[in-house]
Amino acid sequence: MKNLNGGNTMDKSKMTEMFFGPNHPGVPGNYGINYFYEGDTVVSAEPNAGHLHRGFEKLMEEREWIKNTALVCRICVMEPDINEMVYAMGYEAIGEIEVPKRAQYIRSIILEMARIQAHIFSIGGNCGAIGLYTAMHWGVLARDYILDLFEEITGGRVYHIYIRPGGVRHDIETSTFQKLLDLLDDLEKNRMPEFEKLIFENPTAQKRWKSTAVLNQEDALRLGVTGPTLRATGLEHDVRKLMPYGAYDEVDFEIPTGNNADAWTRMKLKRDEIFQSINIIRQLIKNIPDGPVSVNLGNALKYRIPKGEAYVKVESGRGEYGYYMVSDGSLKPYRVHVRGTSTPLGLYGVEALLPGTRIEDVPVWAHSLGICPPEFDR
Amino acid sequence: MKTENEVIKLIKEKLNPLEVNKLRAQNLAVKLENEELVSSLNYLKSKGYSHLATISCVDWIEDNEFELVYHLFSYEDKINISVKTRIDRKKSKFVTIKNLWAVAQYYERDIHDFFGVEFEGNDDMEELILENWNDTPPMRKDFKTRDYVNEKFEWREYHGQK
Repeated sequence: MKNLNGGNTMDKSKMTEMFFGPNHPGVPGNYGINYFYEGDTVVSAEPNAGHLHRGFEKLMEEREWIKNTALVCRICVMEPDINEMVYAMGYEAIGEIEVPKRAQYIRSIILEMARIQAHIFSIGGNCGAIGLYTAMHWGVLARDYILDLFEEITGGRVYHIYIRPGGVRHDIETSTFQKLLDLLDDLEKNRMPEFEKLIFENPTAQKRWKSTAVLNQEDALRLGVTGPTLRATGLEHDVRKLMPYGAYDEVDFEIPTGNNADAWTRMKLKRDEIFQSINIIRQLIKNIPDGPVSVNLGNALKYRIPKGEAYVKVESGRGEYGYYMVSDGSLKPYRVHVRGTSTPLGLYGVEALLPGTRIEDVPVWAHSLGICPPEFDR
Repeated sequence: MKTENEVIKLIKEKLNPLEVNKLRAQNLAVKLENEELVSSLNYLKSKGYSHLATISCVDWIEDNEFELVYHLFSYEDKINISVKTRIDRKKSKFVTIKNLWAVAQYYERDIHDFFGVEFEGNDDMEELILENWNDTPPMRKDFKTRDYVNEKFEWREYHGQK
């Protein structure tokens, strides 16, 4: 680590250095923020990343195309399906592979289920950051019901390895769709109103979230921030609308936006997006066409696509998730570069935007902006 | 809002590209000379391509070159442009774009970690992800993972097997 105070001309005698993380209940994952504070306000901060580096990009270059499907989902614990989807999209874009309609519908259903669980978990996690542990546990519980369904569909709870180049691994039974619809009804009628009372009508949550961790529109655009964080500043930008993938161009949904750009607005947007996702899944299940769920790409270990490149992206629960993939025509990818959603905020954002935050609000800042360290450590 | 072909025409007129391709719908790739890159990015930024998603680096070891790829996106045109330039692999030096996008300094630091590319003008090139790394930068194609492991670590016996 370099000297944290490098270049800082402020009176050092008044400031105290604090190592926030890499092991701390307030940080999302093994990731540190080293900051100086004066009184109880942060005056300068620096990210301390790298504790979760597992060399994914290098590993991917040494494995056949199909093997990486089991690898990419581990890049971000909260967004496994998103990673599988981006990887598959990159492969299909370079290889110019047409994916069957039914597969696209199933993929979108899976992605929306993933969005709901990520949002519920994120709202719960944000409650944990302000000490509302009941809400945190309720969030974990509500998420678990969705994971049960994932287990039924894919065999895995957290990492599914379900979306693969050319389609999805196998079809979903009609009875499972019915279970999913029942679950969504329960979520909409029972759980969300409970969350409303427990979290959004809670004076503690309102006091701690309102006007906290404000990220204005100018900064958000300057940094390349996307997702609910950008939409909380009033812009209606969503990759699902900007560059439709899966079956999103065939469903009707709204993009919730807010204006105050604080943690409270972001939480409310996530809540609203859960309702939108429920709506999307219902439409998809209603209109899902029959047919195959994958194209035959031949021997799985001999997948080969022509030379080419693609930058593909997907709207994750926190914003744009992008992969830059290069193929040299061999059995393995030549290069895969992962652009995790929180990369701009977790690295440069800490240095530029964290100063001015109170110490107690640092966990709120990190959680509400959706910092996910494994995706920028990779 | 402009279509892909209009954007290609604009790039050909205003910039001095080596090559402009339409990869697929909503996706363009532009190849540029080293000297043209910063001014071209500046121009594209002024034309609405102000979202810098990330900077990628690709090691083309057979051509003895690194390729730097800047992924831009315009919310008005809804088009991705991958702006590319190739630099000499031996020298592995380029200029920073942190004056255009401050956030780029961290992407450049990341590339410096993994490919060993220096960015002139970006003076903060401390290790970001790696720690005390003294070998070949790990994402270069001539860095062999297994050799590194054999050299640095001891194979331990596990259930009678090595």
